[in-house]
Amino acid sequence: MSEFHDDYPQYEMMAHHSEEAGVAKRKKLWGVFWIMLTITIIELIIGFNNHYFNPTLLMFIFIGFTVLKAFYIVYAFMHLGDEKKALKWVIIAPYSCFIIYLAFMVCLGEGEYSMGHRNVMDKQITEQQQKLKEGGEQHEQTGEHHEGETQHHE
Amino acid sequence: MSSHAIATDSKDDWSGGRSPFGISYGKMFMWFFLISDALTFSGLLCAYGFMRHKYPDVWPVPGHVFTHFPFYEGHIPLAYVGFMTFVLIMSSVTMVLAVEAGHRNDRKKVLMWMFWTIIGGLTFVGSQAWEWYHFIVGTDHGAVRNILVDGQWKDVLIHGANLTYNEYGLPVFADFFFFITGFHGFHVFSGVVINFIIFLMVYNRVMEKRGHYEMVEKVGLYWHFVDLVWVFVFTFFYLL
Repeated sequence: MSEFHDDYPQYEMMAHHSEEAGVAKRKKLWGVFWIMLTITIIELIIGFNNHYFNPTLLMFIFIGFTVLKAFYIVYAFMHLGDEKKALKWVIIAPYSCFIIYLAFMVCLGEGEYSMGHRNVMDKQITEQQQKLKEGGEQHEQTGEHHEGETQHHE
Repeated sequence: MSSHAIATDSKDDWSGGRSPFGISYGKMFMWFFLISDALTFSGLLCAYGFMRHKYPDVWPVPGHVFTHFPFYEGHIPLAYVGFMTFVLIMSSVTMVLAVEAGHRNDRKKVLMWMFWTIIGGLTFVGSQAWEWYHFIVGTDHGAVRNILVDGQWKDVLIHGANLTYNEYGLPVFADFFFFITGFHGFHVFSGVVINFIIFLMVYNRVMEKRGHYEMVEKVGLYWHFVDLVWVFVFTFFYLL
């Protein structure tokens, strides 16, 4: 029977590396930092001048940059890129499903009321409710008339 | 002492006796916790998105609200928020460098990089508190709002924003601002506390005795998650 080893140093993959490997890794990490700084500065510049852009295009640009930054943080800084494929999928797959659900349900489906159709829908619903209320009031008035005459019209 | 396992995605992983993902249970659970926390923040940001698009005309423009910069008597939109983002990303870089130094058992470098990470975190929390202060105090000119005073609704010149009135626009903007940035700031603060504890552990040679600096890595994951959330909050709150 194989011994159960939960003692991580025995199979912790990135537990140690040499000085030379360290130099290369550090260089890569500083490279990612410069990428992040550049993206942030671009985002801020676009943010200052957001009146030149179409709002939908702005949304795509900003969310695109944000997802790119998130990818670099998770892949390089959190070392998910160095982990086993199984773990990568465990982390990425459920969250991606959720994000895709968000994008399609909230932005395109259920969110349509808040973000788009509200003016049209509200008017239609208000008119319909008004009609129902008026119809009910008329019915009530004739109903009182009926009761006053002690159900002769039944 | 510790065998250097290579990242093979072999079928032997699932035969039992070892973690199939090749990481310790501590790290695995940190990842699980981070996913659950990410979903929490996603829910909050989703709610913010809904509210924001429900009132597109009266929603305050963050570029006009957050224009302060310390020691500068002027209005530079979003400059301080950009500085805060830079500080947090920088602290993320110093954290990952601490983790990398831990992989080489370089105790002194770990201490140095973790020290700078803690400084970065404290700077961020302090900056966030400063932003809150200016948001709550408001501008000199203020705005007229209809609020409840001594049991009666009156038109009053109010300054700043809190949970009942907001000179910049809808009160719900202030509610979301305080809750989301506050929740995130709480994560940053707890991250600083945890980083400090691990810093002390490294200082007292606990990691050296153990033979590995995995605790630094786990805490690093939490810190990077905090940075990741800020990236999203920054985009959805201040830019969009």
